[in-house]
Amino acid sequence: MSSRERRPNSWRRIMAIARNTFRESVRDKVLYNLVFFVLLLTGAAIFLGDLSAGEEFKIIADLGLSATLLFGVFIAIFVGVGLVYKEIERRTIYSIFSKPVGRGEFLVGKYIGLCLTLLVNLLVMGAGVTLALMYVRRPHNPSVLYVWPALLLIYAELTIITAAALLFSSFSSPSLSALLSFLLFIIGHFSADLKAFAVSLGTQGAKVFFTTLYYLLPNLANYSFITPASYGHAPEPRALATSLLYAVAYNVALLAAASLIFRRRNFK
Amino acid sequence: MDDRGEGGATARAERRTLLALVAAVLFGLGSAAALTRWSESLRPVAGAPEVADELYLKPETARRLSLNFNGLVADWYWMRSLQYVGRKVLAYEGQLQLDDLSPLKLKVLAPLLEQTTTLDPHFYAAYEYGAVVLPAVDREAAVRLVQKGIDANPREWRLYHQLGYIHWQGGQFKEAARVYEEGAQQSDAPTWMRAMPARLEAEGGDRSLAREMFTRLHNEAGDEQIKELAIKRLAQLRSLDERDAIRRVLAIYRERALRCPESWAAIAPVLSRVPVLRLGPDGAPLDPTDKPYVLTAGGCEVELGLGSEILRQ
Repeated sequence: MSSRERRPNSWRRIMAIARNTFRESVRDKVLYNLVFFVLLLTGAAIFLGDLSAGEEFKIIADLGLSATLLFGVFIAIFVGVGLVYKEIERRTIYSIFSKPVGRGEFLVGKYIGLCLTLLVNLLVMGAGVTLALMYVRRPHNPSVLYVWPALLLIYAELTIITAAALLFSSFSSPSLSALLSFLLFIIGHFSADLKAFAVSLGTQGAKVFFTTLYYLLPNLANYSFITPASYGHAPEPRALATSLLYAVAYNVALLAAASLIFRRRNFK
Repeated sequence: MDDRGEGGATARAERRTLLALVAAVLFGLGSAAALTRWSESLRPVAGAPEVADELYLKPETARRLSLNFNGLVADWYWMRSLQYVGRKVLAYEGQLQLDDLSPLKLKVLAPLLEQTTTLDPHFYAAYEYGAVVLPAVDREAAVRLVQKGIDANPREWRLYHQLGYIHWQGGQFKEAARVYEEGAQQSDAPTWMRAMPARLEAEGGDRSLAREMFTRLHNEAGDEQIKELAIKRLAQLRSLDERDAIRRVLAIYRERALRCPESWAAIAPVLSRVPVLRLGPDGAPLDPTDKPYVLTAGGCEVELGLGSEILRQ
């Protein structure tokens, strides 16, 4: 089989796995509970806004988008770390690999499936936040729509967390993977401090070490746009495009690393 | 038959167990609540929880720990600031104005607003609130807060207006004029900002400038409480003008009759010709809240009536 013939088949197999993963995730009631909880929080923000002395819009946008990010991270981590583990635990992975499916294809398929699930969840949560904002501001006020670029950036951040969860779960247990993914989420928001720390250090070795760490770890501060969105500001198109490209590049790296490790994994 | 009887007995036993469990849950929770209330009654009533008001985190630490949620945490500190002031206002027995809450000893307000604005340096409402409420509590902290806002948002002319207001209130007219001059240079600054430095230099403590200040405060404020305060202060200024006009009429009457009037009726025809005054049905002049002024000192002086809602300080 030539590589040109193999490529469309490979894509079809990946999409078949993605569809199955999406269906499986959508059936998970925990997801509905999490999305419902975010919508509940956003609704509650309308009442909280009354305590804010005229800052209803800001409170709803901040709370709604922050809840979307936080619960999105929970979904990405807890579903992400279970994707591979469940297949191994149920031994369904043997039947999958008895078919002509590569390990890399399996991982990428799982990843795309979960990203689709996250996209649907995010759209529902985003619609909830938008409706709440429209309730406190006139529906045709354009600043209501500026939460969507922030949601796009949140989604990009979640795809990185999902890829990281998949990478960690390719070689460790679900609980350790969840812990490592969550730590990566936290460290990712301290990336600017890492750089500042590297600059402030005296020895050249330490400088190189922390600068390397700064470039190796995901720079999640790129995706912090919740606060400006709460003032009805839109991101600069160039900054938005750079952040999205960064997410693509980082995801490719994480998935490639996960595939490399997963190829060598022994399931016995 | 036996099976049905056995099945019924099992179902009855199941129901009994269920009821017993529900009863146990209700009993347990009820007892816990009762015991809590009882133990609370044994404890002495604690004073105002001042210690709970202290902030455990430095603003910069809070900003770092908040990850991507700094806006949300800033909102939380903002609402905490409002609740902190609100709680103290409710506990205080007496009259208070938003721009003079010094009797409340709001020692944590400045750190709370500092925390809020470090977490979200663009939180204009916090600067605005600080500019109005903080000067009576800690003027230096108020200036620091709004100056910090200007450093973070140098093109926001409203912050210069807030800082100028703090200096004007403190009687530092030259400093206020300097701030307004800086503010007037910002691209979006309204034209009235340009006139302020000269007016401050010339009319520093005048009532007409005070009227201008409170009118601008009212027009630019986003907070309803601040708008309300500005309306009250404007009504107070109007009332001061009205009382000055009445005093002039009283002085003329005293000069001509060599005594003070016994009632409003004696000077009502003259008062009705004064443009700034409105008279009630009995000829008594009305203050801006439609309450009649009263004659005091044997008719030689005018004061606010007992039911008047005009600010006295």
